[in-house]
Amino acid sequence: MSGATLLSVTGLTAGYGPIEVLHGLDFTVAEGEIVVILGANGAGKTTTMRSVSGLIPRHGVIEYAGNDISGAKPDAIVRAGISQVPQGRGTFTDLSVEDNLMAGAYTVRSDTAADLDRWFEVFPRLGERRDQKAGSLSGGEQQMLAVARAMMSRPKLLLCDEPSLGLAPLITRELFRVLGSLRDEYGMSLLIVEQNAGMSLALADRAYVLEIGTIVATGTGDELLADDTIKEAYLGVVN
Amino acid sequence: MSLLLERLVNGLADGSIYALLALALVVVFRSTGQLNFAQGEIGAMGAFFVSTLTLAGLPVWLSILFAMVLGFVVSAGVERVVVRPIEHRNPGAVIVALIGVFLGVNQLVAMIWGVDPRSLPSVFPDAADDFMMIGGAPIRIARLGIIGVLIVLLFLLWLLFNKTKIGLAMRAVANNQESSNLVGIRVGSVLVLGWGLAGAIGVLAAAMLAPSAGLTGTLMLSPFLLASVAAVLGGLDSPLGAVVGGLVIGLSEAFIVGYVDFLGADMLLPVMLVILLVVLLFRPSGLFGSARVERV
Repeated sequence: MSGATLLSVTGLTAGYGPIEVLHGLDFTVAEGEIVVILGANGAGKTTTMRSVSGLIPRHGVIEYAGNDISGAKPDAIVRAGISQVPQGRGTFTDLSVEDNLMAGAYTVRSDTAADLDRWFEVFPRLGERRDQKAGSLSGGEQQMLAVARAMMSRPKLLLCDEPSLGLAPLITRELFRVLGSLRDEYGMSLLIVEQNAGMSLALADRAYVLEIGTIVATGTGDELLADDTIKEAYLGVVN
Repeated sequence: MSLLLERLVNGLADGSIYALLALALVVVFRSTGQLNFAQGEIGAMGAFFVSTLTLAGLPVWLSILFAMVLGFVVSAGVERVVVRPIEHRNPGAVIVALIGVFLGVNQLVAMIWGVDPRSLPSVFPDAADDFMMIGGAPIRIARLGIIGVLIVLLFLLWLLFNKTKIGLAMRAVANNQESSNLVGIRVGSVLVLGWGLAGAIGVLAAAMLAPSAGLTGTLMLSPFLLASVAAVLGGLDSPLGAVVGGLVIGLSEAFIVGYVDFLGADMLLPVMLVILLVVLLFRPSGLFGSARVERV
């Protein structure tokens, strides 16, 4: 199912000021692969995402499609084909739904009308509310908008920072179904950081477990789902 | 009746200048959350530059355009050189730095152009007999022209913000800088552009005001204060509010000076501040400002 390595991260360290949050991470995402990084609050999930997107200073080697993007600026990384759905959705709350999507296509030079139609088709609720301000949407709708906005830049790799945060289980399930379909129908690769182990591991081809800035375990989604320590730490199953 | 009409037009013309300045303040505030104290002084500097260019023989309209470019460059430079490096370390200190820029530009103007008042030609016909009779009132063409300038500028800004990609980026940056980065907008460039735009608008306001007010180093002092009141009155993040606020203040000025004998022109600012206080007591985010209600 998965092809050549698309994203390769080696020895990634990053932090805020004097505080180092990530202590040398190694992970990869292959073409067409869904990779989950599982971690609790404070493990460094968001810092990892912000490092890959170029929002914060970081050290180590980040290669994307064979190119070194370790020191690239956020806009260059988006142009290269990596797009992020930030934690807490990060929609432009004062802008209309349609303007949010058009902003998502900021780096695209060719005509984006067809993209707009496609994502309104995938997310009909967004189409119904295209002129409404994003801030007036429900949490689930805003999360869908954040995903659609990220897709408007026509990425090959989608980064999702805790997409299930604050969503009802039913909506989370629908969201993960959509994320899976992005791979199946559009050949996307996905890197998802989550603390919702059950749903994310079920979706993942491979997963890493991140604890206090260090990767402590890795395996296929199924392997980690069956792992007793994972069950105990992330699924609340006591043996 | 004809006196009322005359005062109405004069109030709208002065109000247009406050509206332009208030718009400039709002453009900056929306994107960076800063009140640019140097806004008025950069405008005044531009007006002096217009005077130099017209004395050198350039047409007034062309001189104003060149001066607007100067205002753009200076204001953009203030963002890049003063505001951004300080903001990272201490956002509160930016206010003090901008007051410093205000004083610095003010002194620079005095050094370059001296302290003697100058007269600046109007871009509109402004001779003694350049008026037309409307409803029995002699309305000066230059005054109508200023109102027209505001209308044209509003239309251009509307086009910029709503019909262009860079305008969309400016709105996005004003709303959420981190997400703007994530969609590939170069936030720094957009901020520089916003400040530059505000600088150019400030110069336009000063160039509209100077022909009737006289070109001095303190040209923009009181207009800047009134424009600040207008911007806060309308809501600091609302361009519409800035325009309405500016016009309301211009009209109040004309009518208070014209009809309320015991308050003359000198009492204008205190009266405006009282109006402002009353409005803010009931609507803390201004008349058109967004109170930031959103679902999560």
